[in-house]
Parts: sequence; C-alpha cells; structure tokens
Amino acid sequence: MISIQTDDVDIGALIIAAKKYGTGAVVVFDGIVRDDDITEMELEAYEDVATQELVKIAKDATEQFGLLHVDIIHRIGRHAVGENILIIVVAAGHRKEAYAGSRFIIEAIKAGVPIWKKELTKDGERWVPGEHGHGNPKAG
Amino acid sequence: MRWNGGEYNGEEEEMTVKIRFFARFRELLGTDIMTDVAAGTMCTSLVATLAKKNPEGYAAIFDENGAFRDFVILMKNGKRIDIADAAKTLVTDGDEIAVFPPVAGG
Repeated sequence: MISIQTDDVDIGALIIAAKKYGTGAVVVFDGIVRDDDITEMELEAYEDVATQELVKIAKDATEQFGLLHVDIIHRIGRHAVGENILIIVVAAGHRKEAYAGSRFIIEAIKAGVPIWKKELTKDGERWVPGEHGHGNPKAG
Repeated sequence: MRWNGGEYNGEEEEMTVKIRFFARFRELLGTDIMTDVAAGTMCTSLVATLAKKNPEGYAAIFDENGAFRDFVILMKNGKRIDIADAAKTLVTDGDEIAVFPPVAGG
C-alpha cells in the first residue's frame, strides 16, 4: 500500500500482509512525532505529486534491492506527540536487502517528496526546515 | 479563488492556469488560485504577479532583485522546473504551477 492519508494504520496487519512467499525479513520504519517541546505537529502534502513520487520510490527500491513487498504510508493533518507520521514496511528474502531497502526509501522521501511539517508549541508555531533546500534540481 | 492577472491584452488567446502554493507560502498567499493569463506569459511573471498581493509573501519567494530565492522549488504539472529557467518557461492553458519551500517529510 502506498498512501498519503490522515488516519493511522494497523502496523501489525501490514507486517502480516507483507509476508509473501520467500520472505525472510520484514523491516518496519515508524517515524513518530517527537517531543521537542511541541504540543502537536501539522503535516501538509502536495498530495497528487507526493503519491506519484512515493510510488516511484517504492518501485526503485523494489528493483534495486529485490524487495518482495513495500508499504509506505505518510500521514498528513494534525497529530500529537507520540503519534505515527510515516510507516515503511519492507519485506525481502534476507535482512541485508530489507534494511537497505528501508533506508533507501526514508532517505528518498526526505530528499524530495513534497511534504512539509509544522511544529505547534505553547508559544506559537514553526515550519520544520528541509534537509535538502535548493530550487535548482541541476545543482544536485 | 479566481483572479485576473491583468496581462490579457485583448488580442491574444486567454488561458486559465492554476497556482498552488504550499506550506508557509500557502499561509501567506493562499492556494488553488485559478487565474486567467495571456498567451506568452512566463512562469516567473505569473508567480510574481500573484505573490505581489502580499508583500510578505512576495518577499518570502523573491529577493530584492526580483529573482526567485534559491531555496524556492517550482513545479509545472508535477515536474520540477529549474528556477533559472522559469523566466523563459511558458505557461499554457490548463497548467498547474506549484510553488513551495524545501520539503521536510519523513
């Protein structure tokens, strides 16, 4: 499943569904709203484009690491500390490919998928700065 | 929201495009703005015209020389445009132009 959605997901059910024939390892990445003196986090996406890019990232990871199954669920909307933001479930024949595939996916999401986070605090709010801020795709 | 960019000269074909601002830019300028533009309008002038509705929004996207700030990301119909090419990138009828700051998902 590749999805951008407000609702949370049942990670246990995703793990069960990920165990295809030949699976030897399932790696789960669960990104969570961290308690950085904030009250909530608000997430926004350019949904059509972000979904297309998540599909491409999953395809690239599947091809590059020989994955057997990929789920990427990125939540949007307002969420409290401790809630899930991003769930990546990767199944592969062996742990090495599963870990590498999961890592590839999270780094690709952070590098370019149009999603933004705003931290809400007792005193106000602040947009989380991106890690890859540039407007020139040729600059790499 | 519908807004006339004021560039239509009455002689050329009029077109409608959609502008989507995201994150801080959305808060300052709104989003999903449908606007009529004249044939020959370039991406930079379209964004600048809309951004000038709010000086703070304009200053967030453009520098004092009227150039895109180097962290601004542009997309035309879901594909990245180099900000250096935006001044010579035509907008055409039905285009969706997206303008946003660096992404921070994950």
